[in-house]
Amino acid sequence: MILDTLLTGYPVIKTINAGGVFGKINFVIDSLSAFFILIILMMGFLALIYSKGYLKPYIQKGKSVVSHYIFFFMLILSMLGVVTCQNALFFLVIWEIMSLSSFFLVIFENEEKEVLKAGVKYLIFMHISVLFLIIPFAILSIKAGSYDFNAFAPILKENTGLANIIFMLFFTGFGIKAGFVPLHNWLPDAHPIAPSHISAIMSGVMIKTGIYGILRILSLIGTPSKFIAYFVLIISVISAIYGILYALIQSDIKKMLAYSSIENIGIIGIGIGVGMLGLMHGQPIVAFLGFIGAIFHILNHSIFKNLLFFGAGAVYLKNHTKNMELLGGLIKKMPATGALFLIGAAAICALPPFNGFIGEFLIYFGILKGLSISSFFNFLILIFAISGLAFVGTMALICFTKAFSITFLGHSRSEKAESIQNDVSKTMTIPMGILAVLALLIGLFPEVMFEILIMPVETLMDLSAITGVEEFIGILQIIALSAFMVFSIILLLEYLIKFSNKKVEKTSTWGCGYHKELKRAQYTASSYAGPFLSMLKPLFKKVYDVERPKKLFPKSAHFSLKIEDIEEAYVINPLLKFDEWFLSKFEKLQNGNLQDYLKYGLVFLIISIAGSFFFGGF
Amino acid sequence: MVKGIIILLNLITFLFLPFLMTGIIRKTKAFWGGRYGASIFQPLYDFIKLIKKDFVISTTTSAIFRLAPLISFASVITAAFFVPLIFGNAIINIPAGLIVFAYLLALGKFFSLLGAMDTGSSFEGMGASREACFTSIVEPAFFIIMASIMALSGNYTFESLSKIAENAGSYGALIIIFAVLALFLMVLIEGCRVPVDDPATHLELTMIHEVMILDNSGPELALISWASGMKMLLIISLIAKIIIPDGNPLYAFYYLIIVFFTSVMIGTLESSMARIRMSHIFEFIFIMSSFALIVMSLTAAKVFGG
Repeated sequence: MILDTLLTGYPVIKTINAGGVFGKINFVIDSLSAFFILIILMMGFLALIYSKGYLKPYIQKGKSVVSHYIFFFMLILSMLGVVTCQNALFFLVIWEIMSLSSFFLVIFENEEKEVLKAGVKYLIFMHISVLFLIIPFAILSIKAGSYDFNAFAPILKENTGLANIIFMLFFTGFGIKAGFVPLHNWLPDAHPIAPSHISAIMSGVMIKTGIYGILRILSLIGTPSKFIAYFVLIISVISAIYGILYALIQSDIKKMLAYSSIENIGIIGIGIGVGMLGLMHGQPIVAFLGFIGAIFHILNHSIFKNLLFFGAGAVYLKNHTKNMELLGGLIKKMPATGALFLIGAAAICALPPFNGFIGEFLIYFGILKGLSISSFFNFLILIFAISGLAFVGTMALICFTKAFSITFLGHSRSEKAESIQNDVSKTMTIPMGILAVLALLIGLFPEVMFEILIMPVETLMDLSAITGVEEFIGILQIIALSAFMVFSIILLLEYLIKFSNKKVEKTSTWGCGYHKELKRAQYTASSYAGPFLSMLKPLFKKVYDVERPKKLFPKSAHFSLKIEDIEEAYVINPLLKFDEWFLSKFEKLQNGNLQDYLKYGLVFLIISIAGSFFFGGF
Repeated sequence: MVKGIIILLNLITFLFLPFLMTGIIRKTKAFWGGRYGASIFQPLYDFIKLIKKDFVISTTTSAIFRLAPLISFASVITAAFFVPLIFGNAIINIPAGLIVFAYLLALGKFFSLLGAMDTGSSFEGMGASREACFTSIVEPAFFIIMASIMALSGNYTFESLSKIAENAGSYGALIIIFAVLALFLMVLIEGCRVPVDDPATHLELTMIHEVMILDNSGPELALISWASGMKMLLIISLIAKIIIPDGNPLYAFYYLIIVFFTSVMIGTLESSMARIRMSHIFEFIFIMSSFALIVMSLTAAKVFGG
C-alpha cells in the first residue's frame, strides 16, 4: 500500500473520530508520507536485526533489555504517526511520545553519569522544540477553527506576513529536532552515548522527522516568500560548514558521525532552499532539482549514516572505546566491518559510484540552473551555496579519510585493539551489508530511484510545468555509465598486473632506514586535522591542560587539548550562567519555613481574587 | 566512424602528453640551470622502466594500499571523458559535467589519501593531511570560477568556457585573464609543483605529494606519476578552452602550444623561485580564491551592471 502510494501518488486517508478536544483525526499517507514511512520501516527493521547482536554482551552481563525494546517500538510507531497524522493537537501528542521514547533509548547505559547528563540535555532541547511547535499550531488552529492541516493552508496562503512568522516558528521547532545550526547543540552529545542502533535510528531517521515537518509546512504555504527562502538557504549552508568543521576535528568516532549529521541536514536544507528559491522566482526546473535533490539526500543519508553508525557500533563493541586515537589496524582484524565502513565513508563523501553523489549532483545542478535567475542577491547567495557545498564536500572527504584510516588502517595504537581476534557476528554485519548494497545500487542505477522520488516532490510543487525530465534521467544514466567505466578500468589494470606475474617482496614501511615498526609514531587523528585547526583558528575554542616537565628529572608531565563547540562555549554556557544567576535571586523564597509558604498562598489568593474583581467585572 | 577516430585521437594525445609535459618542464629547468638535461622523452623511458619492475610492499598495508593507485588512475581517466581535450569537445558532453569531473577527481584523491595512511608511516600521514588541506581551499575557488562563467552564458557544459568573450563583452578580457591565472595556480597546487611543493626534494619532512607515495613501487608508482601528470593536463585543457575562441579551426594546434607554454612556465617558475615556507602555503593558495572572487564580481558586474 505504501509503495503503491509512493509510485502512484494517490493518497490513502483514514479518519478517526476521537471526539472531545481532538475532533476528527485525519491520518493521510500521501507520497511524501509514504517516502518517509518507507525509510522508517526499512531502517527500523535493519536496526532491529543489528540490535540483536549489539545488545548480546549487555544481556550476558545481566542487563534487562525488555524496556529498551518497548521504547524502540514506541519510537518507530510514533515516527510513523508523526509522518501521517494531519491533526495539529494529536501531532503534538505523538511528537512528544517520539521525543520521550527516544530519551529513554538514549539513556540505555544509565549507570554512567555522563549518559544521564547528556540525556537530560536532550530532553530539555526537545521540550524547547515542542514549545516552538505549540505556538504556531495554536495560532493556526485558532484562526482556522480546526486542528486539521488542510484547514491551515488557506490562512497561510492569504497572509504572507503571518506565514513568514509561522514558518520561522516552525523552522525553529523542527530545526531543533533536525539539528540546524545554531539549534544543534543536543545532537553531538546525545548521539555518542546512545547504543549504536539507536544513534543510527536517531541520526538516520528521527532527525529527518524535523525535515518532514518543514517540508509539510512548506507544502501548506505553497509559494514561499523571499525572506524565508533566503533564510533557509543561508542557515543550511552555515549548518553544513559548521557541522563538517567540527566533525573533522573530533577524535570520538560517534561524535564525529553526529556532527556529520548536522552537515548532511545542512545539505538537505540547501536542496530545500534551492527548491524554495525556484518556487519564489517562478523557475519550476530549479525548484524541482532542489527538492528532488533534498529528497534524494534524505534517503541517501539515512542509508549511509546508518551504515556508518552500525560500523562504529561494531568497533565500539570490540574495542570498548570510541576514541580513534586508541584504534588502528582494524581492517585486518575486522575485515567485513572495515570494508563496509569504507563503502559508507565513500558514499557520505558523495563519491561517484555510490548513492551520495546522485543527491548532491541534483542539488548542484539546481544551483547552477538557478544562477541564471536575474537577481543580484540571488546570484550572490547561490555562489555562496555552491562554494559552500564544494568546501563541505572536500572537508567531508578529509573527515572520512581520517576516520577510516585512523580507525582501520596502519598499526593498532593500543593493546586492546591489537588483541582483537574476530569480527562481529553476522547479525551485525548483514544489516550493514544490505545498506552497503543499497548504497551501491542506487549509485549505479540512479534513474530508477529518481523516477520513484518524483512523486514526493509533487506534494511540494506543481509538476505539470516541468519539461525535460527525460533529460535529467539521461544525465543520471551517463553518470552511472562513468561509474561502470571506473570499475572496468580498475578491473583491466588489476588483470594486467595479475597477468604480468610480478614478484612481490614484503618489507616494513619506509622509516628513513629505521626498520622496526613504530606504532606510536603513526600519524594520529588530531595531527591529521592539525593544519585545519591552525587554518581556521577563530572558529574553535581550544582548552589546553598542560603540565610541563620540570627540573632535570621530571616526575610527571601531561598535555591534553579539548576543543569546545563555540556555540556551546559562547552562547549556551553564558545563557546557563545567566539562568543560574537569575534564579539564584529567588533562592530566599524557598527557605523551608512553613509559615512563609502559607504567606505566599495567602498573597496569591488575594491577588487572584482582586484580579478577578478588576478584570472579570468588565 | 569519424567520431570513433576523433575519440581515439583524443585519448591517445591525452595519454601521451603528460610524459611530454614533464619532459618539457625538466628540460626548461635544465636550460635555466645551465645544464644540457635529459631528453624530453625521459619521463616515458622512466615509466617503461618502472612498469617492468616488481613490487615491494610494506607488511603493514592491506588490500587498500594496492588498489588505491588503480582507483585513482581509473578515476582520472574517466574524468577526462568529461573535459574538452585536444579538439575542444568533451567526449561526453553533459550539462553540469563539471560536477562529475570534480567528484571523480575527488574519488581518486580519497583513495590516494587512504593508500598513504595505510602504510602506518608518520611521513605519509603528514603528506596526506597537507595535501587534503590544500584541496579544501582550491575546490571552492574552482567551483566559484566555473559557476560564474557558466552563469554568464546560461549553458552548464564546459562548452561555455570558450564563449566568455562573446557573452561578457568588454569584461571578457579581464574575466579570461583572472580565470586563467587562477587555473594556472590550480595547476601548480594540484600538480604539486613549486612554490607549493617541490617534486625534487629529498627530505621527507618537507615533501607533500612525494611523501604520500614513499612506499609505492614498480608499476603502481608508474601509474601514480602518470595520473598526476594527467590531472595537470586536465586543468591545462580547461585553460586552453578558456583562451582559444570558440570554433577555431586550428584548435588542436593552439591547444598544443598552450600545453607547451604552460609547461615552460612551470619550469621557469621552478628554476626562479624556491618553495614557500610550509606555514605560508595557505596564504599562497588563498591567492587563487581571491582571483576566483574577482572573476565572480566581474561576471556579476556584467550580468547585473549592464
